[in-house]
Amino acid sequence: MDEKKFEQLLLTVQKPGRYAGGEINSIIKDKEQVSVRFAFCFPDSYEVGMSHLGMKILYSLFNSKEDIWCERVFAPWPDFEKVMRDNSIPLFALESRDPIKDFDIIGFTLQYELSYSNILNMLSLAGVPLRSKDRDSLLPLVVAGGPCTCNAEPLADFVDVFFLGEGEKVDLEFIELYKEFKKNGKSKSEFLKAAAQIEGVYVPSLYDVSYNADGTVCAVTPKDDAPFPIRKRIEENLDETFYPESFVVPLIEIVHDRAVQEIFRGCIRGCRFCQAGFIYRPVREKSVETINRQAKALCLSTGYDEISLSSLSTSDYSCIEPLLNDMLDWTKEEKISLSLPSLRIDNFSEELLQKISSVRKSGLTFAPEAGTQRLRDVINKNITEEEILSSCRTAFKGGYTSVKLYFMMGLPTETDEDIKGIADLAQKIVDEFYHLENRPKGKSVNVSISVANFVPKPHTPFQFHPQITKEEMARKQQYLKDCIHTKKISFSYHENRTSFLEGVFARGDRRLGSVIEAAHKKGCKFDGWDEFFELDKWLEAFIECGIDPHFYANRERSYNEINPWDHLDYCVSKEFLISQNELAKGAITTPHCRKKCSVCGANVFGKGVCFEKR
Amino acid sequence: MFSERVFALKNVRLVYTKKGRLRFVSHLDMNRFMSRVIKRSRLPVWYTEGFNPHAYITFALPLSLGFESEYEILDIKLVDDNFDIAKIPDILNGICGEYINFFDVFEPTLKTGLIAAASYEISFDDGGEIFDKLSDFLKQDSIICSKKTKKGDIKQLDIAQKIKNMKIEQSDNNTVLHLTLPSGSEENLNPELLITAFYEANQKEYYCYNVLRTAVLDKEGKLFR
Ligand code: SF4
Repeated sequence: MDEKKFEQLLLTVQKPGRYAGGEINSIIKDKEQVSVRFAFCFPDSYEVGMSHLGMKILYSLFNSKEDIWCERVFAPWPDFEKVMRDNSIPLFALESRDPIKDFDIIGFTLQYELSYSNILNMLSLAGVPLRSKDRDSLLPLVVAGGPCTCNAEPLADFVDVFFLGEGEKVDLEFIELYKEFKKNGKSKSEFLKAAAQIEGVYVPSLYDVSYNADGTVCAVTPKDDAPFPIRKRIEENLDETFYPESFVVPLIEIVHDRAVQEIFRGCIRGCRFCQAGFIYRPVREKSVETINRQAKALCLSTGYDEISLSSLSTSDYSCIEPLLNDMLDWTKEEKISLSLPSLRIDNFSEELLQKISSVRKSGLTFAPEAGTQRLRDVINKNITEEEILSSCRTAFKGGYTSVKLYFMMGLPTETDEDIKGIADLAQKIVDEFYHLENRPKGKSVNVSISVANFVPKPHTPFQFHPQITKEEMARKQQYLKDCIHTKKISFSYHENRTSFLEGVFARGDRRLGSVIEAAHKKGCKFDGWDEFFELDKWLEAFIECGIDPHFYANRERSYNEINPWDHLDYCVSKEFLISQNELAKGAITTPHCRKKCSVCGANVFGKGVCFEKR
Repeated sequence: MFSERVFALKNVRLVYTKKGRLRFVSHLDMNRFMSRVIKRSRLPVWYTEGFNPHAYITFALPLSLGFESEYEILDIKLVDDNFDIAKIPDILNGICGEYINFFDVFEPTLKTGLIAAASYEISFDDGGEIFDKLSDFLKQDSIICSKKTKKGDIKQLDIAQKIKNMKIEQSDNNTVLHLTLPSGSEENLNPELLITAFYEANQKEYYCYNVLRTAVLDKEGKLFR
């Protein structure tokens, strides 16, 4: 399309900056000079996708190779989608504005289940056949990576190749192989067979799935020498792992608009509901020196005046004190503000606390996740009521007047007692404030409770549990509301209908592919956004396809059942997950990886926390 | 003893062009964009005091989203009196990318409140079709535009007398209109008003157009510096 016409059309939509490209540090190459063009697609809005660290890492990594040109693609907002469809503008990449159907590889990152309909919508906007089997030629290949690939099955019909685990190495090996096959004029099926031999590459079409009469998986059978199980990849030494020296700096405001410095991967804790805590094992840290060097480079190349540290739990970084000491010094000098998400400050030195207090401005937040100690033990969340109360006391003395608490509802073994415990804990914090003699004068306290719906996820000890129904969830929410007796406590919760769909896809199998396609045809998109989510259409799609969504979400799974994701090996053994689930039933906690190794299986990599001296 | 000079801030005015893909950056977003560019440049600029210090920058005259410009004014303050300001454009151009080009730098002669007008070049992708109609439209003694007031009401406004330096050209593919309109804190007329009024009056096929701000002027009609 003519550039002028295109830009005029842009002026007719909201936030044209989403589609304009031209950001500082975005990468333009000569398309004649590269051998592989990669369309990196984030199946959500520009503002969400541009905030995502994984995309920034891979974008820079791919473009650091001379013969690869990686460009960004986001899901167009519905207003622009209409303009695109009305004017026959195919989905294009931001940098070159070329249609992505002409690219070698179209890669999606799967961050949450509710983006699946957007993936289909983006393929359809691109003019690419949705189903893998309808795309005969080698190009474009449709690939996907990211956390949701740990149960990639619902998308198996659409995606040619999934990458399991961390992408840095496997993606490049894959692209190298692709280059060779493309040059030699090989077919798509020849290439896929060869690619399947790369560790971390999962080619779903090379596995047949059969089902039992009761609907559960009977067997997953590899073909053409494809490996079984398929093991995830990790970066073994994070100090040597590629990290971008610059980020594309967006021209419009996005969700997280700042420099982000990764400090470690994985989490030592092992909270039993948390998928990230299992699929990113084992914990591997960057050194203080690496972190400082990378963070400085990033600030220098972007001009950001804010940097945040990224990990699953900042406080668990083993050298947090020396790290903060260094970072607080140079960021202050450079007039950069350091943001420290949810940091436990209990055992910091007086001097460090002083320094932190000069930058810390975010509110006081805790994630007890459950309302009673019993349930916290069930989920292995080791934070006690006394810890929360004493931190609140300290904070109130320091002038804070609001506290935010995060909980989950619908956890295994949960009773109304546990729900009431949420309100009780909040009430105790309110009381704590009024018992304090030197509390902030003339001010009132506000405790806000935010409750998410628990969704059982694959590769966690709770993968066997039924998700509670929407109706039961609504009842619990109402009950919690009834337990709150003061305006000083505010309460917010998640949309139950989206959690239900999330639960279906999280533990779904290949048969859900037809449902996703049917829902897409009905116009489902942006399901993670309340204003666009239409459960009715989804339910119609399930009925049309003869599939019962409750089978996936609300059914207890036996330990012997073959789960749709069991052949995807995230190196945390099923035996370990089972034993963790049994401990949960008895409300018995498990110490974290630094206290004691619980032999989960992740030590097969020979690296990380599993080999630290204890 | 501190000498006075240590604290004296030097006002510096920069002029740049903003084109191509950067047209889609709103005025508010431009503020953030330039703050980051200035931060990356490591120029000795003055930072505001306080909890979140940021580089002090001011834009003399906001530019509408979608417009290109050949004369955008950015004011900064330097803390180093001896800094060779002639170097600044090159330093910033090395950071900004291809859609921004700093081409002039000087110590300001006028306060930004003294901006009185701006000149535009509006080119229509009409294949020369609308030249006659547009010429007739602009020859009228009274040209009524609808303008939104600050309160949100629509006001009818005759802008015929306010248009200055008007010229229309016709080429094979385009009709190009040059004109100057009041601009600044006292009175501000966006050329979109005129274009909308023209399209409404003609109820004819709509043609794409591009608006380029070519100059910012003072009361005497001289280039604002
Ligand atoms: S093997 Fe042990 S130390 Fe390593 S991740 Fe598993 S539980 Fe933690």
